[in-house]
Amino acid sequence: MKGGRHSTRDARPDSDAGEVPQARRGTTPQMKGRYPDFDVFDTEDTWDEATTKVVRARINVSHALSFFDEREALAARVLCDLVTDQDAEPRIPVLELIDEKFHKGKLDGFHFEDLPEDRETWRRVLRGLDETAEQRHAMSFSALSREEAQRIVEDFAEGSLSGGAWSSLNVARAWSVCTRAILAAFYSHPWAWNEIGFGGPAYPRGYMRMGGLSTRDPFETTEDSSPDPVREVGS
Amino acid sequence: MTRITLKGQGPRDNDSRFLLDVHRRDLPGEATMRRYEDNDEVDLVVVGAGAGGSVLAQRLARQGWRVVILEAGPFWHPDEDWVSDEAGAHELYWTENRIIAGDDPIELGKNNSGRGVGGSMVHYAGYTPRFHPSDFRTQSEDGVGADWPLSYFDLKSHYEQVERELPVAGQNWPWGDPHTYPYSPHPITESASLLWRGAMARGITMKVGPVGIVNGVFGNRPHCIYRGWCLQGCKVNAKASPYVTHLPDALAHNVEVRARSMAAEIVIDQDSGRATGVRYFDQDKREHLQRAAVVAIAGYSIETPRLLLNSVSARFPHGVGNNDDQVGRYVMVQGASQSAGRFPHEVRMYKGPPPEVSSEQFYETDESRGFARGFSIQTISPQPIGWAEHVAAEGHWGGALRSYMRDYNHWATIGTLNELLPNAENRVTVADERDHWGLPVAKYTHSLGENDKANIEFSKKVLCDILEAAGAEEVLTIARYAHLIGGARMGISPGNSVVDLHQRVWAVENLYVADGSVAPTQGSANPALTIMALSSRLAEHLAKKAA
Repeated sequence: MKGGRHSTRDARPDSDAGEVPQARRGTTPQMKGRYPDFDVFDTEDTWDEATTKVVRARINVSHALSFFDEREALAARVLCDLVTDQDAEPRIPVLELIDEKFHKGKLDGFHFEDLPEDRETWRRVLRGLDETAEQRHAMSFSALSREEAQRIVEDFAEGSLSGGAWSSLNVARAWSVCTRAILAAFYSHPWAWNEIGFGGPAYPRGYMRMGGLSTRDPFETTEDSSPDPVREVGS
Repeated sequence: MTRITLKGQGPRDNDSRFLLDVHRRDLPGEATMRRYEDNDEVDLVVVGAGAGGSVLAQRLARQGWRVVILEAGPFWHPDEDWVSDEAGAHELYWTENRIIAGDDPIELGKNNSGRGVGGSMVHYAGYTPRFHPSDFRTQSEDGVGADWPLSYFDLKSHYEQVERELPVAGQNWPWGDPHTYPYSPHPITESASLLWRGAMARGITMKVGPVGIVNGVFGNRPHCIYRGWCLQGCKVNAKASPYVTHLPDALAHNVEVRARSMAAEIVIDQDSGRATGVRYFDQDKREHLQRAAVVAIAGYSIETPRLLLNSVSARFPHGVGNNDDQVGRYVMVQGASQSAGRFPHEVRMYKGPPPEVSSEQFYETDESRGFARGFSIQTISPQPIGWAEHVAAEGHWGGALRSYMRDYNHWATIGTLNELLPNAENRVTVADERDHWGLPVAKYTHSLGENDKANIEFSKKVLCDILEAAGAEEVLTIARYAHLIGGARMGISPGNSVVDLHQRVWAVENLYVADGSVAPTQGSANPALTIMALSSRLAEHLAKKAA
């Protein structure tokens, strides 16, 4: 991709997932990560209390669902796993985090005119995934093989699903509503920070090493020559 | 030009920086705050405790006015309420229901809408550029947009005063009306350095700042610690927002900030046509009326028009001040395309404040580009959730997305602010849906014009050029939008505006709009400083008028 202006969908900085190192120190989703000896919790003692509380709450999120019903949860779990490529433990509990957010009525402050509010959009999407799976001769979306479910999600991402619940939605926009919630949940979780090497919360401690232009301020000028005094003075 | 040095004077007539506690972040004075009785008529009631409302209240309280601010959101206690965490900042945004529509709908919430004492400056990045003189005359100079009924020079002294109050740090500014800043530029990060070098290689000048972030000694406000969490609320008190710059002084001068108070209606006396006060709901949904001699709305470009439109009476059957169908029109955003470049070494863009270096070299019209007006260029540094949104906007998900995300530390990001032209059809209306107080919610319809599209396309190429010159191996560019403005614009006649040059609603002699919704154009500058400067000017006018 050198010199490329735009990536294609297949272009991936580390395209062979098999080459991703195994985490050694911190927990990461599926124990994959570029920073095997990093654990964001190593600096937890430098975080303020309020931040520690919200970050820790994600590790300890309740596994009992309140917003999604049983059937919805089965479909939603497959969708969350595929969008975040989670195929093994340890998993970031994406569905549980979204369920908690919706149960508490925490919405994002807008909905598109051609979609209902986000919670209802989710319910219709999950119904739509089951209906599409039935059209493809399965009992439900969650009963499909991973490959078959992946194909439906590809169609969802392309906005090309139709009929049934999908006919009441702008499907391409519904995809953005779902991925917005899924990605916000996944990358709010400290295990994801371990995977990508994100330094994490920083207060009261800030950062010390930020890099920077050079040693010269704009009003200082370059030197004319730079003879080594050891040589110049001689011995 | 008055030169203000580090050793020079702090702001006049504002003690906020001394009233703050060095070790605790609570707004000082909350416990002892003046509280007016329900049936008191005050001199001024302000709707909204953000950039516009807070400055207006602080200024007039200094003149002895008795002021109440009604704020829909909470009274923050930052030590407990604010966190170094992206998802945890959710409470800072206006997350009540709103509808977005049009060919190019604008996402609201965390993107541009604040809630709570201090308003959206609590979570703005911190850029505080001035508008250019040309922004006030785009119709005369470029044949597009609208002329303001006032000029840059009417605002200049207020820009200078607000810059001292924030205080703004940055290099000597060569663009627009060239000026200096009261505080020196901040050091910059690896990410900004790369982008700076790339720009320089393409003949583009970038300057450090301007940001409302303390760099040095400023009363009890600590120096920035470069932790990078400006968008989640500054837990350090280094970044400026009304919460630290104007409300401490306002409370010390007997302003009452009544939080969790949702304005429902501007009440109009049907005989005299004057505003008598604001009807609002408290957090238990009990209804109250705050009476006042003067009413000012500072709810910003969505809530200000919504409140006017929802205030229906026999005199104003289509909403207060809307007999000419102008309320809610000409709401603008800025194009905010964002381009990320991949570098072979680790960049770790999350360190330091996201606003670092910027350029206004492309701000003015250049006919050779084929469109009117222009754009500015600014560094931005998304954190993981923001970066995931960037990658997802390119169409990635699943394994590809995880893979891009693992590469996070190798990317640096730069963005534009494109001036998008005012359009009467880009507007806020009220919908049939209602919020939990039973009030009709706002619907914001937005579509790009041809000039807007040409501007955005041109600017994306400039971003790519900068990244490639900086040595980026790969570039990912996405389209997005930032910053609301307009919706109750000022003008010279009621037929094409909502307020006059003193921000008074044409049809009501004691009703003012004190926020960004009065701006007829927006330039390519972040609006916070201009909103504060406008309120500072409005306060001066009201004080003179009362004297």
